[in-house]
Parts: sequence; structure tokens; C-alpha cells
Amino acid sequence: MNRAEVLELNLTDLSRRLAAREVSSTESVSAALDRLEQIESKLNAFITVLREPAIAEAKKVDEAIDRGDYRGPLHGVPVTIKDMFETAGVRTTGGSKILKDWLPENDSALVEKLRAAGAIIIGKTNLDEFGHGGTSTLSHFGPVHNPWNPERIAGGSSGGSAAAVAALIGPLSYGTETGSSVRRPASYCGITGFKPTFGIISRQGSFRGAWSQDHVGLFARSVKDITLGLDPVAGFDVRDPASVQQETPAYTAHLNPDVKNLRIGVLRPFLDSVNSEVRQAFEAALKAFAGAGCAIVDLDVPELRYAAMTSMLTSSAESAGINRHWFREHHRDFVPHVARGIAAGMTITASEYLTAQKARQRIREALRAVYEKVAIIASPTTARVAPPLADGVKGNGDDTRHASANHSNLLRFPSMLGLPGCSVPCGINSEYLPIGMQLIGAWFNDQTVLNLAAAYQSATDWHTKRPAL
Amino acid sequence: METTDKIARRLALLEGIDLPPADLEAIAAEVADLDRVVAELEAFGRSTPWMSQQTQPGKKD
Repeated sequence: MNRAEVLELNLTDLSRRLAAREVSSTESVSAALDRLEQIESKLNAFITVLREPAIAEAKKVDEAIDRGDYRGPLHGVPVTIKDMFETAGVRTTGGSKILKDWLPENDSALVEKLRAAGAIIIGKTNLDEFGHGGTSTLSHFGPVHNPWNPERIAGGSSGGSAAAVAALIGPLSYGTETGSSVRRPASYCGITGFKPTFGIISRQGSFRGAWSQDHVGLFARSVKDITLGLDPVAGFDVRDPASVQQETPAYTAHLNPDVKNLRIGVLRPFLDSVNSEVRQAFEAALKAFAGAGCAIVDLDVPELRYAAMTSMLTSSAESAGINRHWFREHHRDFVPHVARGIAAGMTITASEYLTAQKARQRIREALRAVYEKVAIIASPTTARVAPPLADGVKGNGDDTRHASANHSNLLRFPSMLGLPGCSVPCGINSEYLPIGMQLIGAWFNDQTVLNLAAAYQSATDWHTKRPAL
Repeated sequence: METTDKIARRLALLEGIDLPPADLEAIAAEVADLDRVVAELEAFGRSTPWMSQQTQPGKKD
């Protein structure tokens, strides 16, 4: 295969070919790194690139696989990780000037598991500073540009990871989500992004944005690829207080696109602010679900009008608590917008934070009742396609200060409540920018979410579209 | 309490952090409507019981 063909391989196909020795890890890793070098000046998706170590590792992997020592679907695969995950001996910055030269001594749990699976980390991706943002423009290392149109944002905070996968720099990347930091960039960059139930993937060794809302998530070019990337990294970890006891992950083995009779809820009152082309693509997706035998159920959950406010107050206060010490010593070294947000969070009192938790509990109970009626809540992931970089942080159109049926509530509630969520491409607009749809399941019904997303991707081909870059 | 007093009360919690006036102004704008947000959430969550959470030691496999 030539380099271009190797780059086009999604994770499922690459894994199969690596196992069959039709492609070598050295070829795959080199192709991804060459691609990175070719287009990184347009994307700024990376903070650290690990060319030499990755190629050296790939050669060792090839020798191992040739000996018959094959570890599984990630063995020899080039992967990227958001620069939120401690990586031993590798600069880990959080997108911040404060840690611009920090070399951790230990690997985070995610990196430990990726190494055990034989994956090859080729770079650390760019992000909003310490995960504080929804644009990936709030980085000490400059903004991430969207591969579909470099004058647009990639979304955040895991924008570098999403941009990398969309731009064919490796078929798999890992990010984090506190507000919507996996689903939004996946939508803006036209790829599949998945955030499991809170506690499924260990967060040990990653920077905290807001401890009760932080998740590890992943990006790939299809749902099948997502499951291949999820199985090796999910699992209980006593070092993460939020980690949950669970059976050995087998999401790939249980992937089943037969979703007949699945009930899908649609929160129509919350869709009024959605852009017309995005809405059109979403309605077409609902028709595809109906065609697969699903029942579409119109819903309203009035309590969700308070989700964005509750999520904002919670994450602001928790983030302030996490950054308190650094902020007092280094407030001038934070990105200014991030610094203002942390400072604002420091003015939230304990009783105000607890007030937000009562609101959160009320919303949680409302969703518990909803999930007795439907298995999935579907909506457009974002109300609009990727906005221009020139619009700054306001371009996303978020409103986290008003209790209304605005789309920000749909973006924020899954992470606030710890629900599993998947964003899949469901269209391309008239400007050739991708449109995403999110599928949100009940707690620990990650497999149902993945199955429905797989069913959608077996009936459509939006996830195969690529940027022209 | 007047709005300016409310903002001042919040900004007082940043005592000891040497912030230039322009930053303080920007932060004041950020916190200006927090009292309203909290009041709305308080009313919304009023009937919900206070949560009690304990952290149990995790099992080791």
C-alpha cells in the first residue's frame, strides 16, 4: 500500500492489516507523522510531536508482531492524546504556560493502558488551557484550526485531538470532557466522538477541570473504531475515586446494529435555536432511525432549562478549587480568558455551590424518569456548524446564564450527569462544514448508545466524508 | 444590597491576589449576574432533598 492508502485506513482496517502483516507499524506511524508534518502549520493541532521515539517504538512492535507476539487491535497503531494526560518523560503542558516545560515522572492511567495495548503515541494534542473552554483557541500554544476550513475553530477543549483524526493524523485520539469537550469538537470536525458513563475510564494522571464532571473520551472515524479504542482503556482503577467497578470491557464484541423497537426521545422545544441546515440534517437522521425500526418520541424535560446554569456554576466552583493554589502564584501566566473564569469561580461560595448541587439532583431525577420511557435522547450535537476563529469564544453561541430552552443545555447535561454520549457526523452544510448529532444514553447503557450509532453508520456514509485539506 | 455592593462582596474573595484594574473590571463583568443565577437555582432546587455523599474505599480486584 502507498502512504496515502495507509493514511486512509480507519482503525478497524488498520488493525486487521497490522495483524495480517499487510501493513507494518513503521509504515503506519511514519505515514501519520509525515502527514502531521505536511499540514500541521495549517492546523496547530499539536503541542509536542514524538517522531523519533514513535518510529523507534514502531520498529520494535514490528519485530514483536513478526515473532507472533501480537497484543490486540491497538498494537502498532499510531494514536494521539490530548495534552492533559501525564506522559512519563514527555512534556505535558495542559496547554498552559505554567507547565510549558514540565516532564512528568509517571504515566497517567490512560497512557499505561495504551502502552500495555501496544499503541504508539505520536504526539500530544493542543487544547483550551487545562480544558477550560469550548473552542481550543484558549491555549498558550495558539489556537487549533479546523481541517475542514482553517479559518474556523475545531471546537474545544479537545480540539487538537478531533482535528488530528479528521486530518488523517492517526485513526484514534483520546481527549477529555467536562462540559462538551469531546462531543463538540467531534461535531465541528466531522468525526465520531464518544464520552462513556462517568467512571468508566480512569482519569488518574490527567489534569482536573471539574472533578465531578471530568471524563476521558475518544475520537475515531467510526463507532466500530471507537469500541476498539475503548475496550483496552476502560476498567476499574482504585487510584481514581470516581472509577466504577465493571465487567471486563467488551464493547466491540457486543456491538450490534439491530436497534429495532429502540425508543429515541427528541427534545423538540430545545431545537428552536438550531440552525436550519443543522436541523434539516438532524430530521433526516431521525428518518433513518425510524427506517431502522426505532420509535421516535417527542419529549419535553422542563428541568433541562436549568442544566447549563447548573453545570456552569458547578464547574466554575470546582475549577476554582482545583486551581486555587496555582492561581494565587501564577494568575498572570494563565490565558486571560481562563484566568477570568477561574477568578469568577473563586467568588462562588460553598453554600452557592451546594445550591447548584440541589438543582443538579433535581435534573438528575427528571432524566431518570425520562430514561424509563426512552433509551436514548437524540439531538444535534451543536446548534450551528464550526464558527469562524475571528468570532472568538462567543462564536459558539453558548448561554450558560439563563434558564431557557437553549441548546447549551443539551450540550452540558450529559457530562453534568455522567451520561454516556456519542457524537456522529450526520451531514455537511452548504459551506462544506460538518454537522453532528449526539446520542445520549442512560447511565451505564454505553453499549446501547454505541449500538445505535453503529446502526446509523451502517445506514449512512456521513462518517466517511473527509475535509479537502 | 445594591448590585455594586454584591459585586464588591464577591471580588473581596479575591483578596491577596494582585490583579490589575482592567482584569478586576473584566472579572466584575463575569460575576455580575451570579447572584441572579444562584437565586434562580435556589428556587428551582428548593424541593429537592440535600444530597449526602460518602466516599467508600474502592474494592481491589
